[in-house]
Amino acid sequence: MSIDPEMLMAYADGELGPIEAKRVERAIAEDPALAEEVARHRALRAALGARFAPIADEPVPDPLAVVLRSNVIALPHARARRAVPGWARWGGAIAASLVLGLAIGHGVQDPGYVRTQGGQLYAAGKLANALDTQLAAGSGTVRMPVSFRDAQGGYCRVFTSPVADGIACRGAQGWALRQTRPGSARATTEYAQAGSVDPALMAAAQEMMAGDPLDAAAEARARSAGWRR
Amino acid sequence: MAAFEDDLLALLPRLRRFARALARDAADADDLCQVALEKALRARTSWQPGTRMDSWMYRIMRNSWIDTARSRSRAAQTFVEEEAGVAVGTEGDAEARLVQHDIDAAMHALPDEQREAVALVLVEGLAYKEAAEILDIPMGTLTSRLVRGRQALMARLGEAA
Repeated sequence: MSIDPEMLMAYADGELGPIEAKRVERAIAEDPALAEEVARHRALRAALGARFAPIADEPVPDPLAVVLRSNVIALPHARARRAVPGWARWGGAIAASLVLGLAIGHGVQDPGYVRTQGGQLYAAGKLANALDTQLAAGSGTVRMPVSFRDAQGGYCRVFTSPVADGIACRGAQGWALRQTRPGSARATTEYAQAGSVDPALMAAAQEMMAGDPLDAAAEARARSAGWRR
Repeated sequence: MAAFEDDLLALLPRLRRFARALARDAADADDLCQVALEKALRARTSWQPGTRMDSWMYRIMRNSWIDTARSRSRAAQTFVEEEAGVAVGTEGDAEARLVQHDIDAAMHALPDEQREAVALVLVEGLAYKEAAEILDIPMGTLTSRLVRGRQALMARLGEAA
């Protein structure tokens, strides 16, 4: 069976649905040239990413800020926002990691929500279980208001729990925690409202998302496929 | 109403990156940003709160780029490209600058319609569907432009990519 170049590219970008992706994978298994082409597509994406990413980290030149400044009086706030260095954004994550660390430390009757492996935080225990099995419609102390696919085609889920809120993405080693912040759904709040998710977390999810969030049917399909891309 | 400017300002780093992928050099890219921002401020009522501001801004920037880039002569661009090699890269080591220059030159050699597809999907990391909507073209057109652009880049960059 022949795989056209567009389909192979879409596979490399994680843009194919599970059935088409399977088709491509079967073809790749039979033809090493196709596997090489996929690797070349991914290498090119990485090279372009590395070339242009630093531009987004540069401070915005004044003349550009001036265009906006001349248009708005509430500038100090806006400038302050821009001035926040990249590392400062990790502050929240570090704080949440500390909270998570406490959860591990007190793991006498609590199995813990998180584990580390190779320097990366992963969901564990109740949280990992909920990420695997619970749909957005579910209720309880751990909730999954939104599931989506990222640009690489992997599955990610926004979660809220008594210990931490965040975004977890499914990889080979489990649910890697991409974003974490102190939990909004306190243990006493059995039925947290989906509307109560931190807007910053939803914005981060929006940033990572390729296409639209999964609807209920797509979410159920992803679950039965073990959240594998 | 300051929230609108605030949101634009927060988008600026990404807009500059997108402009840099489209335009000939850093100076042109920032000119393009300025034109696009001014347009956005004038057209602010056409943005619907609750919709994606980044998509709206990418579209404005891409249209501004079409307006300015197409009026320039190709010959002039080729001429400037030669000296751009000398000025490229004030950051990083020599090898990184070389790769940077190769990528810039390869991007620049692409037809506009392929370059904008590559910039949205590979540089800005948008999904095909989002890129097609911004460019106002069907998905099939996007993927065929994207695949041709990528093949040209891979051929030109060879193992360097």
